Amino acid sequence: MSLHIVSKSPFSSTALADCLTSFIEGDALVLIEDGVYALSGALKSQPVVGPVYCLAADAQARGLTIPAAVEAIDDDRWASLCTEHNPIVSWFR
Amino acid sequence: MITIEGRDIPLDKEGFLRNLDDWSPEVAEALARAEGIELTEAHWEIIHLLQDFYREFELSPAMRPLVKYVAQHLGAEKGRSIYLMRLFPDSPAKLGSKIAGLPKPTNCL
Amino acid sequence: MGKRSLALCRQAPYGNALAREGLEAVLAASALEQAPDLLFSGDGVFQLLPGQEPDGIGQKNLQRNLQALPIFDIERAYVCEHSLSQRGLSLDDLATGGPALHPVSDIGKLISSYDTVLSF
Repeated sequence: MSLHIVSKSPFSSTALADCLTSFIEGDALVLIEDGVYALSGALKSQPVVGPVYCLAADAQARGLTIPAAVEAIDDDRWASLCTEHNPIVSWFR
Repeated sequence: MITIEGRDIPLDKEGFLRNLDDWSPEVAEALARAEGIELTEAHWEIIHLLQDFYREFELSPAMRPLVKYVAQHLGAEKGRSIYLMRLFPDSPAKLGSKIAGLPKPTNCL
Repeated sequence: MGKRSLALCRQAPYGNALAREGLEAVLAASALEQAPDLLFSGDGVFQLLPGQEPDGIGQKNLQRNLQALPIFDIERAYVCEHSLSQRGLSLDDLATGGPALHPVSDIGKLISSYDTVLSF
């Protein structure tokens, strides 16, 4: 199933919202770069049906706390998620 | 660079016109001669069709679209790669575009 | 059967270079006989509006290029129904003469059927 990668803040871009409209059961979501700002409320208003991962370094850099429902990952885990899913869909704008 | 009737016309390193507005039939003759081609009626028919293609789509065609377009407009007999290869050897889309004064096909590798 | 790829076009045509880059990538891939399928969603559906005349802003007409897709052997494209209705548009508002446009309600299902997705 698809691995969706979101790298823009949901407050300035439709990337996350667009991603979630194409999200189906079995898909997974990875938040990277400014995409991690979704941890600050956006994901509560738009619940996701599948697992949500967040690049820990990007969240830490921005002073965000990763909630329990979201799995903090490092680069290695991100790479293995990429190999476990097909296709990989990048939402970068 | 080529010189036509005393006018210097800049070319890029592959011989395409730098300014598409520089194109004229005389320029086409010179560009063709530089490729070892003497333009005949059959060449001009394709050159004009390439220019129509560009006006319609704002693109230079790759080989297959060119063959298809020629077939649509000039019939199946001419809409074959062998026919176009005879007129513009090796790479008809690229060479034809060059002589017709079209930009280099971005999708022609 | 080869790997199937999808070009996901989400950007309006002239505000940034992505829409054009996407189209050029699709045309280049078609020259190698690897043309991806196309899905227009989000503001990408605005690429399909008829009557675009970008001369005044010094840009090439992207819609003309879209009309060329069938001759590059790209006969059809998918359009996200939800994105259309969000923007007050329907299929009837879109340009004809290019690839046949197929409305899709569940784009997630469509996306997951591909091996590769290229985002533009």
